[in-house]
Amino acid sequence: MDPVTDYGVLSVLLITIQPVNFLACFIGAVVGTLVGVLPGLGPAAAMALVIPLTLKLGPTAGLIMLAGIYYGSMYGGSTTSILVNVPGEPASVVTTIDGYAMARKGRAGAALAIAAIGSFVAGTFSVIALQFFAPLLARSALAFGPAEYFCLTVLGVVMLSNLTGKSRVKSLILMMVGLMLSTVGIDPVGGMERFSFGFESAQGGLSFIALTTGLFGVAEVLSVMTGKEAPIEVLPVKFRELYPNREEMKRSVAPMVRGSVLGFLIGLLPGPASTMAAFASYGLERRVSKHREEFGKGAIEGVAGPESANNAAAGGAMIPLLSLGLPFTPTTAVLLGGMLLHGITPGPFLLRDRPDVFWGVIGSFYLGNMMLLVLNLPLVGIFAKIVRVAPRYLMPTVLVLCVIGAYGDNSSLFDVWVMLGAGVVGYIMRKYDYEPAPLVVGLVLGPVMERSLRQTLIISRGNISGLWESPICMVMWLIILLSAVLPVLVPYVKAKIRVRLNK
Amino acid sequence: MAFRKEIVGSLVFILFGVGFLLYGLNYPLDQWANPGPGVFPLIVGVTLVILAAWQFLHAFWKPKPSAGREKGEAVKSVREYLQRNKGETKVLIMIAVFVTYLLMVQWVGFFISNFLFVVISSRLMKEKDWRGPIALSAGISLFCYVMFEIWLKLSFPRGILF
Repeated sequence: MDPVTDYGVLSVLLITIQPVNFLACFIGAVVGTLVGVLPGLGPAAAMALVIPLTLKLGPTAGLIMLAGIYYGSMYGGSTTSILVNVPGEPASVVTTIDGYAMARKGRAGAALAIAAIGSFVAGTFSVIALQFFAPLLARSALAFGPAEYFCLTVLGVVMLSNLTGKSRVKSLILMMVGLMLSTVGIDPVGGMERFSFGFESAQGGLSFIALTTGLFGVAEVLSVMTGKEAPIEVLPVKFRELYPNREEMKRSVAPMVRGSVLGFLIGLLPGPASTMAAFASYGLERRVSKHREEFGKGAIEGVAGPESANNAAAGGAMIPLLSLGLPFTPTTAVLLGGMLLHGITPGPFLLRDRPDVFWGVIGSFYLGNMMLLVLNLPLVGIFAKIVRVAPRYLMPTVLVLCVIGAYGDNSSLFDVWVMLGAGVVGYIMRKYDYEPAPLVVGLVLGPVMERSLRQTLIISRGNISGLWESPICMVMWLIILLSAVLPVLVPYVKAKIRVRLNK
Repeated sequence: MAFRKEIVGSLVFILFGVGFLLYGLNYPLDQWANPGPGVFPLIVGVTLVILAAWQFLHAFWKPKPSAGREKGEAVKSVREYLQRNKGETKVLIMIAVFVTYLLMVQWVGFFISNFLFVVISSRLMKEKDWRGPIALSAGISLFCYVMFEIWLKLSFPRGILF
């Protein structure tokens, strides 16, 4: 069955432009832009906060709104990087280098326009690629049994140990904690109650929304309380300045194309895709540019490349989520949590069972990208001013939204206590240099991993070789082995070679 | 400081892992052909303890800063500690306010507790004026009532007042 021919590309677009979906896409894009603009509140926390609201909208509109927040935040992040020198989210850090330098030279409008156009080009490119690759991967994944799924989750854990870009061991530790927390509640195979300590509310497992809002939202508010509130200077930008000149446009085309392809490919890999893509693109542009001396002083390529790359990566990261049901980034992990709460199980069967959701979300990417371009260019000044909203007003609002988000999931105060606990733990973890993102990924991968492990052992009648007998499993175990060993071995060998050369 | 953080962090995870493993012994392991509910927690728990122990040993064997430097750093860290402590106290107060708020929700009701919670937390965030937090709090409470209670039909806990 081919959903495109069965449902037609036009009908896909019709799903997206149904009034409720259109509105959901618009709200998602606006909220996403705001989240991207505001430093501190990341897309993962915002999506977790909005999930209870989306439950009212139904799965297609709800997921379109969540996806809108996801890619909208990529657009918004660049605005404050350029005008205020404050990246709204980590993927925009690199844009501050040349974007802010351009703004200082009076070319803020051009930098913003190039960032928006680059994001649009890359976003559209990644959606087209997503449309072709996701069904292909989903179809091949139909041949996957429990053993393959187990290997895939182990592969995810090993490769995602680079999620924070810091210590691999710390990431793995937190992923194990996430896997442990996923065992709370009813056992997915035998139905036995585990680790609920007599709490009735914990029998269905710990609320995903409570944990994510606590770890990302409450912990962030507590961290902001310890910091100093510095006055923020926003560089002015006029509407008529929003046109890049011919020279700037010409110099931006190639970086946009390179950024789109590079970003999309990086998006397919586990890890902080958008941030990695932006840095990789900046490095690439600096190497190939004819204007190397301008980098750091306001080179347009330093804005066009990374801004395209981080948006393309956001699209690329949707492929493993939609076709395999595996989140490779914290944001897609929250998106997966949202899907599960809507009763949608992403993976190879999503395309067969719920083509309306699959294609509706993909279609919304086209629409969302267009909306963001139209929204971001004229309203850029307003969005930039939002960064001035004082934390003393913003943070209490975030706290209340966290409470409602955690409570609204099951109408249970127990979940709000869990959220507060997660918030305090998340705050302490940050103080001790442990990033909470891998924990969330472990929490989502846990049930799939446990179920597939136990099913494999049951099918193979206790023969452990069932975990690596099939050719697909063998290849995956080989990749797992290489991903685990190479990062340790390569620096060691390099150091040895260096010592020998010095001798 | 970083050295102490690494040690304390890994010790906490070792303790957590051991506690989890000990409690997990309550669940049956059964046989390989039909693994019980205790198998997965056992595997994950053991992996956590091994990783945290590795992290502990790694921090322990890592070259430590020299004594002279450490002394200088200690003086600096006391100053830093006092500086940072201002924020830490605020965080502790905020957590206490949050706990009081959650306890109040069950007795006084969601909307009244929410109103007070926003005013107090806004004041804790360096707001000197009363009017701003009160206006913000009234706005948020009204928004919550219209959006969640009326539109989304979410029923919040009601107390003796509202």
